[in-house]
Amino acid sequence: MSVSETYVRYRRTLSEEPLAIGVLLVALWMAWSLVSGLLTGGIQISSLASLIWDGLLRGLIIGLAGIGLSMTYSILNFANFAHGDYLTTGAFAGMGTSYLVAGIGENSVGALLLVGAGGSVFGGALGIGVTTAPIAVVLGALLAGIVTIALALAIDRFVYRPIRDESGIALLITSIGVAFALRYLLQFVYGAGVRGTTAAGSVPRVNVPAIDGTFRVTAHDISLVVVAGGLMLGVHLLLQRTKLGKAMRAMSDNEDLARITGIPTERVIRTTWIVGAGLTGVAGYMFVLWKGTLGFNDGWLLLLLVFAAVILGGIGSIYGAIGGGIIIGLTASVSVVWIPSEFGRAAAFLVMIVILLFKPEGIFSGRTTA
Amino acid sequence: MSLLEVRDLDAGYGDLQILTDVDLDVDDEEYVTIVGPNGAGKSTVMKSVFGLTTHMGGTVTFDGEDISGTKPEDVIHKGLGYVPQNENIFAELDVEENLEMGAYILDEVPQEELRKVYDRFPILEERKHQQAGTMSGGQRQMLAMGRALMLDPDLLLLDEPSAGLAPDLVDEMFDKIDEINESGTAVLMVEQNAKEALRRCDRGYVLANGQNRFEDEGAVLLHDEEVRREFLGG
Repeated sequence: MSVSETYVRYRRTLSEEPLAIGVLLVALWMAWSLVSGLLTGGIQISSLASLIWDGLLRGLIIGLAGIGLSMTYSILNFANFAHGDYLTTGAFAGMGTSYLVAGIGENSVGALLLVGAGGSVFGGALGIGVTTAPIAVVLGALLAGIVTIALALAIDRFVYRPIRDESGIALLITSIGVAFALRYLLQFVYGAGVRGTTAAGSVPRVNVPAIDGTFRVTAHDISLVVVAGGLMLGVHLLLQRTKLGKAMRAMSDNEDLARITGIPTERVIRTTWIVGAGLTGVAGYMFVLWKGTLGFNDGWLLLLLVFAAVILGGIGSIYGAIGGGIIIGLTASVSVVWIPSEFGRAAAFLVMIVILLFKPEGIFSGRTTA
Repeated sequence: MSLLEVRDLDAGYGDLQILTDVDLDVDDEEYVTIVGPNGAGKSTVMKSVFGLTTHMGGTVTFDGEDISGTKPEDVIHKGLGYVPQNENIFAELDVEENLEMGAYILDEVPQEELRKVYDRFPILEERKHQQAGTMSGGQRQMLAMGRALMLDPDLLLLDEPSAGLAPDLVDEMFDKIDEINESGTAVLMVEQNAKEALRRCDRGYVLANGQNRFEDEGAVLLHDEEVRREFLGG
């Protein structure tokens, strides 16, 4: 009797939750292949640690860029497809500044500001790096933020604000237009070539021991963690502790009520662009400093992952953007344990889809907080 | 001269006109209610005072100043507080942050007013760190009123304060409104619960089809044959 009852219950679970069962089976297979790989030496613990570290860093960049996307979404109610190209703009502006600071006097200002367009100057030769040219890097990161803020405010003033009362779809499609215009403007100015930007060989590194070997941590990894972590904490404090931050949350929660309590909505919108774009510009610069190459497509290619992170985390939530970013970054990176590395991005989207099937509102839904 | 004077007000939304020639007065420290059937334009009167509708004609004068067509974010500076019927709290913020937002236009949170709000609604102080959206309907309504009182307004606009409340809470809510009025704040209230509203107020207006129908002391309206038959269900 009890045996048949148990059997019936399992059969019912199987037929009612085929998806959950399928995911569970895949997870079990992944766990088994990981454990057996580790035991037989097919996968080294140190290389796994290296993948996890790489995924975390990637996740921090995606999360930092995602905060801006999520904030503009929650306050302006539209998904800004030009966000990735804001990131690229920040990267170019910041790198141009770094080149200028590091190479002024020896090279032409134009070639430096254009980040060595056409192979006129090379980042490696200038010694761009957080230890070799710290002032150039700090100023570069600052300028990346400032230029991106200026760009976002200008685009808002002349493109988005006049159509703010139109539907979200009109804004979204406009933003796709802005994305194309920006990207090809960047290509026109800076050229289509992907250039190396840092003196990769001279970046200090330590090998962290990990049981059966070591994995590498560079000075640029550490600076990325410090900058991204610091900015995320800063945004958290801004939103939770300051009057303006609370007003931003209030407006994202209930715009009509915000207006009748006297919250100046245009000022809140402007602040949102400033914070969001500043973070995005710095994220772009840190991304390029970390990976050591720069091309006009960088932001656009990253944008899909940023969207995946923001949606996965629950669009509108900055904590969702951070959490989602780290999940997406880790997935894209660590998935090579099981599948060929060409499918890393696909795996990230697959994870997004699976999580959304179980939690359609995103992981952090209900805690929007701007 | 009254505190709030509405004269020949025409208003609506976009091209749709709802109100025609509406006249309404609220004196200092007076308690006035607007009753009438669904769709009479009661809430539209409130929204029009606060600049949330399309102004089509007539005037709204507050404290001697013409505020017709003033934007909602500016109306709050004049000394009016408004509690809309729906979505009248910031659900994602906690209770205290909601009250702070009520005083957004001031440089500092007015501790004295915050104290008064907490004394009036002790449950809000008990739950000041609770996320507002997780509170019950009655508590939300108190929070919404508390938020509107943070600037100690001369006139408080209340849109359906008893809507959606459990019957035992309705009386408590009306008592709170009496107290607010007795402490010197003029009240303009729209109520579905017309009999109770007319019983409590100083003066009432009956609105139908976006126009004035009757206007008198609450008790007089409550006992008027025609008003009873047409609007109070006998």
